[in-house]
Amino acid sequence: MIEAILVGAVRGGTSMVFAAVGETVTERSGVINLGVEGSMLTGALAAYAVGIETGNPWLGALAGLFAGLLLSLVHAFMVLTRKANQIATGLAITFLGLGVTSLYGQSYVSQGVVPFPSYAVPGLSDVPFVGPILFDHDPLTYLSFAIAPAAWWFLYRTGLGLRIRAAGERPEVLATMGTSPGRVRWIAVAIGGGLAGLGGAQLATAFARTWSEDMVAGRGFIAVALVIFAGWNPIVTVAGAYLFSGAVAFQLELQARGTDISLFLLDAIPYLAVLIVLAALSGRRRHSAPESLDKVFDAGGLPA
Amino acid sequence: MTELVDRTDPMVEPDISIDVTPEANPTPPVRRSLPGLRTAGSMLGAFVVFGLLLLASGADPIAGYQAMWNSVTRDANSFGDVLVRLAPYLLAALAVVVPARAGLFNIGGEGQLLIGAVGAMAAANALGQALPRVPTLLMMALSAMVAGALWVGVSAWLRHATGTNETISTLLSNYLAFLLLGWLVFGRWKDPGATGFPRSRILEDGERLPMLWGRVHIGIIVAIAAAFAVWAILRWTPWGFKLGVLGGNPEAARRAGFRSSRLAASALMAGGALAGLGGMLQVTGVEGQLRPAMMSGYGFVGVLAAWMVRHHPLRAVASAALLAAIAVGGNGLKIRAGLSSASVNILMALLLLAVLGWGRQLNRKATT
Repeated sequence: MIEAILVGAVRGGTSMVFAAVGETVTERSGVINLGVEGSMLTGALAAYAVGIETGNPWLGALAGLFAGLLLSLVHAFMVLTRKANQIATGLAITFLGLGVTSLYGQSYVSQGVVPFPSYAVPGLSDVPFVGPILFDHDPLTYLSFAIAPAAWWFLYRTGLGLRIRAAGERPEVLATMGTSPGRVRWIAVAIGGGLAGLGGAQLATAFARTWSEDMVAGRGFIAVALVIFAGWNPIVTVAGAYLFSGAVAFQLELQARGTDISLFLLDAIPYLAVLIVLAALSGRRRHSAPESLDKVFDAGGLPA
Repeated sequence: MTELVDRTDPMVEPDISIDVTPEANPTPPVRRSLPGLRTAGSMLGAFVVFGLLLLASGADPIAGYQAMWNSVTRDANSFGDVLVRLAPYLLAALAVVVPARAGLFNIGGEGQLLIGAVGAMAAANALGQALPRVPTLLMMALSAMVAGALWVGVSAWLRHATGTNETISTLLSNYLAFLLLGWLVFGRWKDPGATGFPRSRILEDGERLPMLWGRVHIGIIVAIAAAFAVWAILRWTPWGFKLGVLGGNPEAARRAGFRSSRLAASALMAGGALAGLGGMLQVTGVEGQLRPAMMSGYGFVGVLAAWMVRHHPLRAVASAALLAAIAVGGNGLKIRAGLSSASVNILMALLLLAVLGWGRQLNRKATT
């Protein structure tokens, strides 16, 4: 049972891992993007459509990445160039993604796609317990295993990562050094959107293997919550994403075994888990927030 | 971003009468003339872009707009559909407006609407038609408002007790509200006679709102009256004044001795009560029963409506009406032009982006 739950956690959590790690990079630069949900949707549809037209899931994944990135650039333009409110813009971006994918995706509903096949790693996938959990997945899932360490390395060990963190903490220092915080934030938003698009691609072409309207179903919003939950640390973010998808897998497993508990109450477990952990850690998390991100939320600057 | 005064320096007593942050004293825009025209122009741009997107999808944008227009203006009933949709949109918008006055983001309207509908149904079940129609409906409305307020009260309490960001907690609570409603209608409130998808029992006549004409129920008047009430309360009561101070300058609010945390909670809960009322109007005026998919997306549209008018309670009537017309037009787009009705989400989003990015340069924040 534990094995089934963990396999389910990895399968279902991968799209959120991409999105949440991307959003971590974005928020580290001082921008919050609630449009991640929309970027995942456009990524999912683009990957699905290109996958169908070309028969190549890799081209689909690439298209998904670019579609998510493109939509996030709208967010960047609105909040960085037009100085629009980030929360409201992000929600509008999600609506935009929802509408665009519903308009252009209509003809793709319930069409067959060439899905990403699973590649079992020879040898390793036969290891009991660990094998099925870690070594029997689609290529994007393998890629997702590397994404959090890569993001950590990027943020803490590269010049651009340093600039992104500086833009989030002390943009004026960055400006003094001759680097435009705005330009750095554009890049960070684009990275976040691209990864969200890739997550959407994984969702449509490897996990669900279908396209339906609004199929992301809140995963993008959860990803944003997970970033705060994880204290803006990409590694912890991934743990949060698997915790969430693990809770989902747990309730699916309980349902499959037949239980007297209502499935709606079981469904609530992952959301409750995130909310409770978020509340429990909020006091400490406040200090780890990128400083210029505080200004986004504290439109009224309430001392809580 | 360029805050020059170090407020943490104990040697410098911050002077609250002069706030030097750019947010607090936005410099008046140079081009002050005709701000309304600017907003109107940018919104027109949104319609053009949506038309281009329709064109790119292979549809005829003129025919699309015609289909939308016709489905809104065909007859008294189709116009009535806009009014019917206006009620929950407006109350969901007001649920954003009141907390925004205190500088808070409530994006849990989606869930608060549902919880309001649940509260109304709970009151109806408890009363069991023991009372005449008017007191029954009043009790249902009261129950819905209390339910909505208590629901968001959890987020308010989490903010107060642990500092949990209310934006995230209200967002997450939407999913919980949806699941709670599902639990009820698939479980103890399930109508045994219902075929197909589980629903609650159908409300009796004595538990339904009176109709004005066709499908238009009296709740439209209630919703618009609520907008006026919110406007008057925010403008003329001490509570409304305090919320404005808190949202505009929390430091001043603290120094004036306001109980900031309690004020913030009251603003959020007032918002929850308004959304709860919206849910009650929808279940008693339109749906007549609870079903899981009811009011899907209404809460988020309310957020759009509130931001489109920068949280002005009376102007929210206009923005909610515009979005209601677009939503009803979406049905026309589906029926007459064969396009997905959710396509109109694009137009809603573009309209908000137009206002956010190109509307009046003043008051970009939730607070002012």
